[in-house]
Amino acid sequence: MTSLSRSAWSGLLSSQGSTSYRTARVQAILRSPRLTVRCYVSGTSPLGAGPSSPSSVKGKAVESKEGTSDDEWETIIGLEIHAQLKTGRKLFSPASTSYGELPNTNVNFHDAAFPGTLPVLDLSAVRLSIMTALALQCEINPRSTFDRKHYFYHDIPASYQITQHYNPLARQGRLRILEGDNKSRRTFDVGIKQLQIEQDTAKSQTVGDNVLVDLNRAGTGLMEIVTEPDMRSAEEAGAFVKKLQGLLRRVGSADGDMEKGNLRVDVNVSVNRPGEPFGTRCEIKNINSVRFLQAAIESERKRHIKHYTTSPSTPLLQETRGLNELTLQTFSLRTKEEAMDYRYMPDSNLPAMAIDPQYLGKLTDNLPEMPWETVDRLTSRYGVTKRDVETLIGLDEYHAQGVRYYEDVVRGDQAIAKRAMNWIVHELLGQLGKTKLNIPWTPTLVPSDLMREIVLAIQEGSMTGTTGKAVLKHVLSASASTAGPVAGSRTSNDRDRPLSQSQSQSQSLSAVLDDLGLSSTLSNSSSTSSSSNSNSTSSSSPSAELEAFCAQAITNQPKAVDDYKRGNEKVIMRLVGEVMKISKGSADAKKARTMLEERLK
Amino acid sequence: MRVTCRHLEAAATSLKPRTSTTHPTPYSWVNPVTVASSAGLPLIPGSGPLAGRTIAIKDNISYTSAPSSCSSSILRDYNPPYDATCVKSLVRAGARIAGQTKMDEFGMGSLTTHLPSHCTPVHNPASPTEDEPPRSAGGSSGGSAAAVAEGSVWVALGTDTGGSVRLPASYCGVVGLKPSYGMISRRGVVSYADSLDCVGILARDVGSVQGVFDIISHPDEGDMTCVSSSARAKASSILSDHLASSLSPLVHPSETEREIAGLRIGIPENTLDSPPELLSYLQSKGAIVQRVSIPSLQLALPAYYVLASAEASSNLGRFGGGWYGSPFERDARNDTESGVERRRRIRTEGFGAEVKKRILAGTYALSADEFNNTYLKALQLRRLLRRDYQTLFRIPHPLQTSQLPNTTPKSEGVDIILHPTAICTAPLLDSSPSDEHKKHTVKGSEEYAQDLLTVPASLAGLPAMSVPAGRGEDGWPVGISVTSQWGMEGLVFRLGKVIEGWTKGT
Repeated sequence: MTSLSRSAWSGLLSSQGSTSYRTARVQAILRSPRLTVRCYVSGTSPLGAGPSSPSSVKGKAVESKEGTSDDEWETIIGLEIHAQLKTGRKLFSPASTSYGELPNTNVNFHDAAFPGTLPVLDLSAVRLSIMTALALQCEINPRSTFDRKHYFYHDIPASYQITQHYNPLARQGRLRILEGDNKSRRTFDVGIKQLQIEQDTAKSQTVGDNVLVDLNRAGTGLMEIVTEPDMRSAEEAGAFVKKLQGLLRRVGSADGDMEKGNLRVDVNVSVNRPGEPFGTRCEIKNINSVRFLQAAIESERKRHIKHYTTSPSTPLLQETRGLNELTLQTFSLRTKEEAMDYRYMPDSNLPAMAIDPQYLGKLTDNLPEMPWETVDRLTSRYGVTKRDVETLIGLDEYHAQGVRYYEDVVRGDQAIAKRAMNWIVHELLGQLGKTKLNIPWTPTLVPSDLMREIVLAIQEGSMTGTTGKAVLKHVLSASASTAGPVAGSRTSNDRDRPLSQSQSQSQSLSAVLDDLGLSSTLSNSSSTSSSSNSNSTSSSSPSAELEAFCAQAITNQPKAVDDYKRGNEKVIMRLVGEVMKISKGSADAKKARTMLEERLK
Repeated sequence: MRVTCRHLEAAATSLKPRTSTTHPTPYSWVNPVTVASSAGLPLIPGSGPLAGRTIAIKDNISYTSAPSSCSSSILRDYNPPYDATCVKSLVRAGARIAGQTKMDEFGMGSLTTHLPSHCTPVHNPASPTEDEPPRSAGGSSGGSAAAVAEGSVWVALGTDTGGSVRLPASYCGVVGLKPSYGMISRRGVVSYADSLDCVGILARDVGSVQGVFDIISHPDEGDMTCVSSSARAKASSILSDHLASSLSPLVHPSETEREIAGLRIGIPENTLDSPPELLSYLQSKGAIVQRVSIPSLQLALPAYYVLASAEASSNLGRFGGGWYGSPFERDARNDTESGVERRRRIRTEGFGAEVKKRILAGTYALSADEFNNTYLKALQLRRLLRRDYQTLFRIPHPLQTSQLPNTTPKSEGVDIILHPTAICTAPLLDSSPSDEHKKHTVKGSEEYAQDLLTVPASLAGLPAMSVPAGRGEDGWPVGISVTSQWGMEGLVFRLGKVIEGWTKGT
């Protein structure tokens, strides 16, 4: 294939690009010259962390080999995160941003920097960025502007990236990390230095002597979030990224999916002895999972410590590094001397964004409850565990349908709050996890009204846990058979559909019990399930029933009775099983066991 | 197809001159193909206000029917895949695009001499006699001005970054408007300096300019710097309020469009004076003429060249990466050429000397060490100049919500600033002429000085129009510039028509 030409272009822009990549006859030069030189810390000296005397160094070096000196070092970590904005279109052009398309099919003339094209800002990208900044408690710049960052490379057709250098959208925010988040050992705030909107680059790939360029990603909107160097361990950095992912999804501004590359993390690491100035900072770029992030920090930390202990007289080179994902070791990409001058300049094609305080107020009011706020609220109000609330949050990170479902079941009733959580998180989700139904949880699977009835009935003792489980199982298998064929193709978007008037809507507990042939057990209490006197009246009836079931079981299983009487106590379970069979699952297994043991004494 | 001079000549000679005083030349057109082929095509009697009108466009305005090279080898054979918004509006109004006109490469130049080696420079068709040595048509929209002046089209579009429409209009004796920044969409116009670029209109009379302006001046969703309809409505209501309150009661109802009684005209100090006869004529029509001072005017030219070059260095970065299909790009020299080497070769061979000079200067101005001392200072000068203008005008700026501290009382403010468009008449094309013509040659940095009087309005984003005002001592045309408050094109046209009347009367 020859070099890119106009004829090649006309092919690129007609969506029927038969050949996937277009080739520019160029060799790999700098793989990615986007070296970011960001000064996190004023007064950082490249020599700053050198040990004070050679003698102490020698000792340290020995200790280092034994791997015991780590506690004598402090690791300083700052992150620079790029999150693709979830608006469906590019930041300055109407081209789509759908993932996994044929290369060079999601391309508008502007994305390819055709002469005479001008950027048209996607206002929903601005709205989502502002909401993200608000969730990070940033100060929103009332008048932010766009600038150009210049460099020559194939992944940037205009030879400049539109970003916000001089007046970013937001500054000075924070995100609190709690002790226990991703094994973090302390509670602290990570400062957000700034949040800005910018363009993503194209994807370039070196194949042999050629660089292949895919413009599908070119011009996608990004939020760049820069933290202060406030983290001190790989776990803390991991905790920050995970917490940020939850925030982005809840706000709806980004998917934050590192594997798909729509969240990318660059990490700055330096190491120093406590009380001494920060050491030389190295940046590790383009990390694509939290695990790799933590591995990169660990590898870099060890490398720095080793350097300071073994060759204290040579300063550590300030570098940009990459992570080898196989060895989990970092490697040098380039040194600071190769840093470029980006010639930042205001972009006159884009007017300043003046943010109306009224609009800001509206966005603040519409900000959803953040995941950690949900945890705080539910744990303190209902005494449920953080872990269970996090499970609810994980059911739908974008629209918090799991949390809403739980609250619909509980309806502020503290008496059933814990039991409801148990039944949703452990019984319902447990059954979904076990069965081969292959249907994801949705709020309509077991409607919240039905779930509430189940929980109430169990709470009152008018229904046994075993029956409850049977009810869930029945409802789920019914859902699976009706919703089965579409289950595989369900996407997160489908969850946004209004609840369909499906079988589940009309279901009441008594109807389900009828289906299961269990209506008698609840017949006298289902209508009065909320009345206070139901306890005494309903408890006598099942226990009389249970007596009968047990008697029947003993008659049905003479061999088991014999075995038991000979001392094989395990056999009692066979009798309990018989009771369950006779009662069609409605009996309380524990009570049945006790009763059987009494009778066989 | 590759345009050659032979084609040009054949095409141009097939054209009929419209006026007897000017001659059609083969030199105005880059791409006469559409002009030539139109002879064989029946002229479709279109509908719309411009039905049957022929309009030429400068070679940096995208038009899908022909290549748009910006007079640069780097874009030779580049066929734009979309039409510029202004071209769409013209075609929709019934106009026929006659072809593309020559320009200085990427709009950088004042004489239309910075062309690819295979192109001849544009000759000024406004020669007073047959045997004059050829003179420049001005630049960078020299081809557009010459095409209008020689009568081969009705109107031509140009672009004006620092005077590129007004200067050639002045040299060729035609009317040239640079509208307020943001009035005409720039979508499809190849950028030179985004904060200064304006689409301009050249025609033989003010009425034609106004007619085309009314059609191509509208909001465009494809250009965020193109102002909204509400801003336009505000500007026109300010103008009608001003006309109602500040201009004297109408004397001749039939002449309402040319009524200027009560209009306050400022003549800047320390610039060339307009013809005194013209000023007396305007006073006789009831205008008030007064001296005004624009202190920052002196520093406008250096500020302009810093800003324009800086923006150019950024905008021209996209060329050479291998996207648009110049012969240099297609021709891969050898397999060992690296990406950097290839880009370097394309840019070295594809850009002309003047463009390279400005890219270098602009890159320097934006470099980390120079930014504060060069680029930022130029921005500051631009701000000062804008403030100077705003203190002079008694009409408020339609886009400014908070008024600048106005040192001049409103009653003493002016509506129009008037001065000659150029510092001289058209310079000679030949740089080594006989002695009697020597004073009309332009050398080296003198070319930059041609923009001295046009860049201030560009930096301030104000509407400015060059109107023919007779001929100089050498017999070549002289133009007068009418500048007003942002959005006050209506006032510019009004005074332009009065000046036009005076010129035709003398």
